Amino acid sequence: MVSEMTSKERVLAMLDRKPVDRVPVMTGSAMVKEYIEKSGSSWPDYHCDAEMMVNTVSLMHTDAGLDNIVLPFGMFIESAALGLEVKMGRIDIQPSVRSFFSKPEEVNYDNFLENKYVKTTLEAIKLSKEKYPDAAITAFLVAPITLTGDLMGAENLSMLSIKCLQKEKQMQKMQDWLSKALEINRIYAEACVEAGADILYYSDASASPNLVMPEFYYQVAVPAEKEIGDFVHHLGCPWELHICGDTVPIIEGMASTGADCLSVEQAVNMKEATKIAGDVPIVGNVTPLLMVEGTEEQIIDETRKGLDSGAKGSMLGCGTPPLSTSDRIRTWVKAAADWSAENL
Amino acid sequence: MDDLPEEVQELIEELDEAAEDEDEDTIKELTQKLLETGADVEAITLKKLSILVMDGEEEMTRGWTEVAIQIGIDPFKTLIEGLAAGMSLIGKKYEQGEAFVPQLLIASAAMYSGMDLLAPYMKQDENSNSKPVTVVIGTVEGDVHDIGKSLVKTLLSANGFNCVDLGNDVPASRFIEAAKENKATAISMSTLMTTTMAEMPKVLNLLENEGIRDKLLVMVGGAPITAGYAAQIGANVSPHDAASAATWLKESIVNFPSESVRWD
Repeated sequence: MVSEMTSKERVLAMLDRKPVDRVPVMTGSAMVKEYIEKSGSSWPDYHCDAEMMVNTVSLMHTDAGLDNIVLPFGMFIESAALGLEVKMGRIDIQPSVRSFFSKPEEVNYDNFLENKYVKTTLEAIKLSKEKYPDAAITAFLVAPITLTGDLMGAENLSMLSIKCLQKEKQMQKMQDWLSKALEINRIYAEACVEAGADILYYSDASASPNLVMPEFYYQVAVPAEKEIGDFVHHLGCPWELHICGDTVPIIEGMASTGADCLSVEQAVNMKEATKIAGDVPIVGNVTPLLMVEGTEEQIIDETRKGLDSGAKGSMLGCGTPPLSTSDRIRTWVKAAADWSAENL
Repeated sequence: MDDLPEEVQELIEELDEAAEDEDEDTIKELTQKLLETGADVEAITLKKLSILVMDGEEEMTRGWTEVAIQIGIDPFKTLIEGLAAGMSLIGKKYEQGEAFVPQLLIASAAMYSGMDLLAPYMKQDENSNSKPVTVVIGTVEGDVHDIGKSLVKTLLSANGFNCVDLGNDVPASRFIEAAKENKATAISMSTLMTTTMAEMPKVLNLLENEGIRDKLLVMVGGAPITAGYAAQIGANVSPHDAASAATWLKESIVNFPSESVRWD
């Protein structure tokens, strides 16, 4: 029996493959409308006001009981800081990247850390670390392949991902884009760790078998993710890797990146995934929409199913939907705690 | 192609190389030589085009489309039996789990590259009697993801449908306006995100309010969309993927009242 842990201790123990008092419950992005309103934050200011950001996201920890506090809200920060066009969405729609570069030479990251959204994220990490030292402060970052897709356009990435496997010249083109993304990843990772992030959570949505072939994932994405992951470890920080879609065909590759834990979505057969990943912890894979319209029974069933199948932590299959309700999020956290009380 | 005489096979290989190098003069010269062999160059060209589109060979597809134009194949035949046939082949493979999205995308790019060359010749045949069935297609408001929607559009186009592409981030009212303007047979909506799913029932509610729901078939799709959700919001179907969307629509229009009965 493990004595009671703080949220931060619980998450770090899970990442370190050590026993926990209960399985951690974690989130990816957390732009929840109810919490935005409850904290008195306003759209779109909470994207560039560190205090508003922390006041909103911390409610996932203090009100709902999740173990991590995740900043920022969406996957647009890197692109905005590079000068790409971003549509800011609405209070219930996350910002989205609307433009891309035509060649790698156009990508300029000299003043990356001076961008207002980057600065807000770094300030919010510092602030949440001060205010909530017992929570696992998690920086939500865009991983190399997805960032490459943002730089060159997701459709172009998908097409180049197959061409580069066939022709050396195309592979060189891919590497030219990817090296830009990795350089930006390094700059941002270092700044986040310096600001006090306990964990870096990388989403590589565009490395999904939904968009690129598993062959590309193994040949190009794994080395890139490993490169940034090794860099993060060198900074003394653990990291998580999330990829969307049915990732069973690439789980072995994901596990080989050195990520301290893998996050998967509801399309994944958790039992099969945990078997393939071996001792690399997998977290997941509750359907996000259940937080918007799921019944208590559905939320409890899915939470328990994931944990019964070998998940080491409960997480939604993707970010927390903006229209999630706090009572459903609390039901999810309780379901994981109840499962732990019976099984740990 | 393996059963063709050696001389013909060699010319085909040389044409492939010239097409890849985008060497128009050599393509013309080799096409003439190929015709002089007495081989069925039309059949060879259509077969080549379908394979090249399936394999996503953009430059070679352009080159062999030039061959088709030079030997005078009916442009509609080149489109349907060559380019679109190749897109259908890769679509079927995708449906059976034997191909991935990037393969569909490069096939789509290859098909469109050939279509671009055919376009000026096709305009001359616009007085054809058969009017293609129109589908209004778009990604719902708040969602900028284009790939899935574009693949559905490509496969619908390859199956002879006329697609009115509204792009992404499309307000619900725009779907209705476009359906009316074009006397459409179907609306196809997609979203990749759970956060924007709620835009789909808005479109269906507007169709009901306008009294035109029964004039249209409504397809909804995207990663978070299930058949159950489609039924819940009153859509006709949520096809499993882009290829099955085209298959479903082709089958569904057989017994659907014609445009003149529905809209006039």
